[in-house]
Amino acid sequence: MSIVQALLCGIVYWIAEADIPFVSLWVLQRPLVCGLITGIILGDPVQGAVIGASINLVYLGFISAGGSMPADMALAGILGTAYAITGGLDAQTALAIAVPLGLLGTIVWYLRMTFDSIFVHMMDRQIAAGEFSKIPWTVCVLPELMAGVFCVIPATLAAYFGASYIQPFIEMCQGTPMQIFSVIGGLMPALGIAITLQYIFKGEARLFLFLGFMVATCTHMTLIEQGIVGLLVALLYTQITDKIKAAPAVSAAGAGGAGYDPDYDPDED
Amino acid sequence: MEAEKKKLIPKSALIKAALNWENWVQTCYNYERMMGQSVVMTFLPVVKHLYPDNKEKQIDVLTRESEFFNVHTEFGSCILGMAISLEEDKAQGADIPNEFITNLKTSLMGPLAGVGDTIYQGVLIPILLALCIDITRAGNGNIWGAILYAVLMIAISYGLSIGNFMFGYNAGGDAIMDFLEKGILNKLLSAASIMGCMVMGGLIVNYVGIKCGLVINASGTMFNLQESLFDAVLPNILPLGATLGIYGLMSYKKWTSIRIILLIVIVSVIGGFFGILA
Repeated sequence: MSIVQALLCGIVYWIAEADIPFVSLWVLQRPLVCGLITGIILGDPVQGAVIGASINLVYLGFISAGGSMPADMALAGILGTAYAITGGLDAQTALAIAVPLGLLGTIVWYLRMTFDSIFVHMMDRQIAAGEFSKIPWTVCVLPELMAGVFCVIPATLAAYFGASYIQPFIEMCQGTPMQIFSVIGGLMPALGIAITLQYIFKGEARLFLFLGFMVATCTHMTLIEQGIVGLLVALLYTQITDKIKAAPAVSAAGAGGAGYDPDYDPDED
Repeated sequence: MEAEKKKLIPKSALIKAALNWENWVQTCYNYERMMGQSVVMTFLPVVKHLYPDNKEKQIDVLTRESEFFNVHTEFGSCILGMAISLEEDKAQGADIPNEFITNLKTSLMGPLAGVGDTIYQGVLIPILLALCIDITRAGNGNIWGAILYAVLMIAISYGLSIGNFMFGYNAGGDAIMDFLEKGILNKLLSAASIMGCMVMGGLIVNYVGIKCGLVINASGTMFNLQESLFDAVLPNILPLGATLGIYGLMSYKKWTSIRIILLIVIVSVIGGFFGILA
């Protein structure tokens, strides 16, 4: 990797992390997208997207709420992809190396969250003085420049030096260590899925996880096809439950008359 | 009458305000005010229309809007629209106390952040990502999944944020409350959960790769545990078990993701070293 390529990786990390308009946290921060961009920088877009996609499996349902950041997926995505392409790693090994990097990266987020307070106090003084035209500089441009210092320098160094050590490191790990990397890489996506399940594996929806599991085990549907089936099943289920709820008197009477309605008239509907 | 009242702010300034919110919301994210300074950014294009010749009043508006504020960007933008509409009424002489606007903002902040984070980061993004990851890894790999995700996500974010902002501006706080209480979002959430669970079920099968590598030598015949036991009973039972196990630890034992990562590494080192897992 040339120093220019490493610097570009660092800049991508900055753009992904600092919420610059249009690309922001929802888009470039995801390893699927920043993996593709890293791939373009290193001359192999397809490989970049594929490695990024694999790393992204771990971060499917990662939620950053109330200013917390459980893992820095952008750093994991960019460095993991860069190391995989320069070191010729497969997706699972790249994933096993990327996840610890993601944990380290959270330091950058907390540094930013802490030091950004300085600019808020500058803004307070500018409001009081009526200097409104300076506010965009204070709360948009300056914090972004500060974030640039926090992001570009460590990410560039990590990309440049990491890439030159990755090949000897992998050669050293041939045999059992590589096998362990591949087990870690195989297991990690379970974490991403489990985190997502925290939000959707609830109540009546639980059953559908097993339905999806059986459909995928027994058929050769792609995930898109399965997603469409899932959508149809969800609509069907909502329609049926709505119908049952729309006729409460009938079901209540059928369930032993606990909710018996004296005015109930079967001809009413 | 309503239409007659709202004339202070031109449409272009409103759109500029909505874009300022979506564009710069997290650039100066901090522990002290969270998004308070982003609310100021949102008010900047409109404040001069509220009090055209009165700098003192402009300073007042921006000062009270710079307080602590934190919400989900796209779902919470209706609060900003509503606050601008209230400030507009106030500028035209309506008797609205300052505390009323602040309290309304704070009381809507919590519910919308909760709903927004769950629907956006817990349901929409994971489903969209899962499908786009699958497109990307299909065959020998391609770039279209990543591009599709980026395009869809930008369109959804900007569309939802600006549309929601205008809804808050036009409809006001009561309408937002009504909408939250009607339960439309909950219905959407439960339908999306069903679809999400189906996709996650498929994801377990396709992407969690864990196999038992044990081969037992039973009186001369080799007995491969994975092929002869698991694959014969129910293939992929190990990935399903691993995922549900991690889910259980996080959900019932309140393990953090960092502890889970450590556990995965330890299990993999032991399992991989002795050849139990492959």
